[in-house]
Amino acid sequence: MLQIKKLKKYFGGVKAVDGATFNVKENSITALIGPNGSGKTTVFNLISGILKAETGRILMDKEEITNLRPYIVSNKGISRLFQQSRLFNNLTVKDNLLIAIDNEDTFFWRNFFRANRITAEKENKVRQMLELVNMEKFEKRIARELSYGQKRLIEIARTILNPHKLLMLDEPVAGVNPKLRTEIAKLLLKLKKQKETILLIEHDMNFTLKIADHVIVMDEGKVIAEGKPEHIKKNKKVLEAYLGE
Amino acid sequence: MGIFTQLTINGLIAGAIYALVAAGFSLIYSTCKFIHFAHGASIAFCGYFLYFLFSMLHLNFWLSVIFAIIFAGLLGYGMDLLVYKQLRKRKASPLILLIASLGLLIFLESLILVLFGADIKTIGFIRVTQGMEFLGARITQLQVVIILVSIILFVLLFLFMKRTKMGKAMRAVANNKEVAEIVGISSERIYRWSFIIGSAIAGIAAILVGLEQNLEATMGTNLMIRGFTGAIVGGIGNVPSAILGGFLIGFAENYGVWFLPSGYKEAIAFVILFIFLLFRPQGLFGIKKLVHK
Amino acid sequence: MIEAYIIHLLILICIFIILSISLQLSIGFAGLLSLAHIAFYCIGAYTSALLALAGVPFWICIVLAGISAMIFGFLLSIPTNKLKGDYLALATLAFHIVVYAVALNWTGLTRGPLGLPGIPRPSIFGFVFSGNLSFLILTFIIMLICYFIAKLIISSPFGKALGAIRDDELSTKVLGKNTFKMKTYALGISALIAGIAGSLYAHYITFIDPSSFHLMQMVPILAIVIIAGLASLRGTIIVSIILVLLPEPLRFIGFPSSMVGPMRQIIYALILILILLYKPKGLFGKIKLG
Repeated sequence: MLQIKKLKKYFGGVKAVDGATFNVKENSITALIGPNGSGKTTVFNLISGILKAETGRILMDKEEITNLRPYIVSNKGISRLFQQSRLFNNLTVKDNLLIAIDNEDTFFWRNFFRANRITAEKENKVRQMLELVNMEKFEKRIARELSYGQKRLIEIARTILNPHKLLMLDEPVAGVNPKLRTEIAKLLLKLKKQKETILLIEHDMNFTLKIADHVIVMDEGKVIAEGKPEHIKKNKKVLEAYLGE
Repeated sequence: MGIFTQLTINGLIAGAIYALVAAGFSLIYSTCKFIHFAHGASIAFCGYFLYFLFSMLHLNFWLSVIFAIIFAGLLGYGMDLLVYKQLRKRKASPLILLIASLGLLIFLESLILVLFGADIKTIGFIRVTQGMEFLGARITQLQVVIILVSIILFVLLFLFMKRTKMGKAMRAVANNKEVAEIVGISSERIYRWSFIIGSAIAGIAAILVGLEQNLEATMGTNLMIRGFTGAIVGGIGNVPSAILGGFLIGFAENYGVWFLPSGYKEAIAFVILFIFLLFRPQGLFGIKKLVHK
Repeated sequence: MIEAYIIHLLILICIFIILSISLQLSIGFAGLLSLAHIAFYCIGAYTSALLALAGVPFWICIVLAGISAMIFGFLLSIPTNKLKGDYLALATLAFHIVVYAVALNWTGLTRGPLGLPGIPRPSIFGFVFSGNLSFLILTFIIMLICYFIAKLIISSPFGKALGAIRDDELSTKVLGKNTFKMKTYALGISALIAGIAGSLYAHYITFIDPSSFHLMQMVPILAIVIIAGLASLRGTIIVSIILVLLPEPLRFIGFPSSMVGPMRQIIYALILILILLYKPKGLFGKIKLG
């Protein structure tokens, strides 16, 4: 579904991404791992269109999306979760989720003349999603008031609600307590059963190796290994990369 | 040829004043990292304080000048102590500090209007003369003094920043506050002195302008806009660039009169400011990282 | 006598409410801290005045005043799109200064410091709003219209999305929304409302000159929005009323009238600073600035 070809991104003299190439298969959970500074989040930012690549290509379902603007990349079917919490803190949980459902809210005149309404259908979608993450009671709360773990859950929910073909999650369980981690792991596996495609960055090796079908390892901006979790665990190059950090 | 020389000299004089304002402003911005609009108030208050001491109380001129400059420094310090420092304690963003500085500027400028009225005040120390002839243009002795004083100040400022302990500490804080604190520099102390010195320099600019032209309540804002433009054009956060920028604005304004009707002279600085803010906010010599995304 | 004074105050309050709502729309709801709104007010006032002096009927004047301000709002959005926080404030400030300089210097169009006198009072279907009471009613109705426009936008999904842009623009982009387009609309509509206020002002005082649009005039409006607190429409209205009325007693204490203006500014600036220090969310807002 997603193809990265020889992607390069330099920051001055630093080669953050130096010729990364990999593919993400449909209906799988692919994990992108590697020591700190190996370029994983930069690759995500390049895919999302937040950064411009020096050279290289990014293809989504065989369509070129390299260097497109972020909102266009999103509308091509990529839904992105960030590493830091980026909830709309002054909006309610419900509004945070409603925004994700479609882009009808970007059309000024349609909204001004009340043609665009929040239908019962949309409200149901939000409610179902909240049930999925066990947070129905928080619908009317202001996002700012939530705990870190709760915020993370809502953000993941929002990312899923956003119409997509590919979910890109940057450290979905970073800083989250173990019980919540297991819940999120279960959620992701459930999504996979529903034929979703997920690409995730994660530092928690246990978490990753438990749920990933395919693992891609990066170090110093390049892909150094790829394969099933069991093989990656034993891969010499991978161990060296991690020990070196 | 005569006109060109005259415009150049006028540009030099105006540029010297703007450069002084820009230098003080830039010193404060480089260490404190926010736009201190109320710098204009330091200017206005210094000029009016001199008027108060010399023209109203009839104190000795030179004594009044010294007191006025000290007053300007203290005013800057006071603004930091009472307003900015308190906001810093509450982790205020540069935006909030900017709004606060706007409030301070208007507050202080309105105070001047209330205390002194809106009419123009003359300091009345220098008699208006025709001036001397120089390379086909006219220049008065006071104007020569303005240029000389500003050059001396810039040299002193340069030496201060390069050679003295405090100057180096200021540059350290401007460069990287966290690292500077680790090596034991008190950033609060640096902020304090940046305000005192920066405001005092602005005060000197006010005195020079007050002697050359006159005092009026909005002189602070007017000079501040041009000095600020100079600082942006040169490259904010860097005192030497700001000084250069100040001179550039002085020249731009005066050469501009050649091409545009004289009424637009004031607009020149503003238009330059607008263009730079929109297309090159880091200025001619500044660093790109100062533009937030 | 007192009646005339009260009516005058009420008219000013209505105009201030319209202006503050326009600024609140920009700052509180879209997260765009604009210092350009007095420029939009100025553009609206001069457009309306020049059209009216050329014999154009009032209702066209006020509509075109709003539209011309809106166009400048759209235009300003383009170069300022990538700017945030204090840099955005500065760029909009520079825009204001340029507009002010043009008003002062393009004497061919605006007569510069001489101003435009003799602006006719509004006339609709032959009825001339020459009396202040009738003008107050007109202004009040227009204020209500502006309030409803703002309310409509804010409570719609578009308004919520603007709030999202204010809270985190990057996240909004990544959810597939063209934030540039939305911010442009926000600034444009906000400018439109400010332009309408300008038109009303011009037709009320029947004389405008650049001094009414000096940067100082930004302080009361900015103060109102910040004191009220971000994203509170109700609070904006309440604080507008309070701040217009608050300095009025100064007239009666015995200050010379030339001092009343600066004293008003002193009061506004002081309260603004105090709010920033001690109640940064404002009196009615729930969102912190910056």
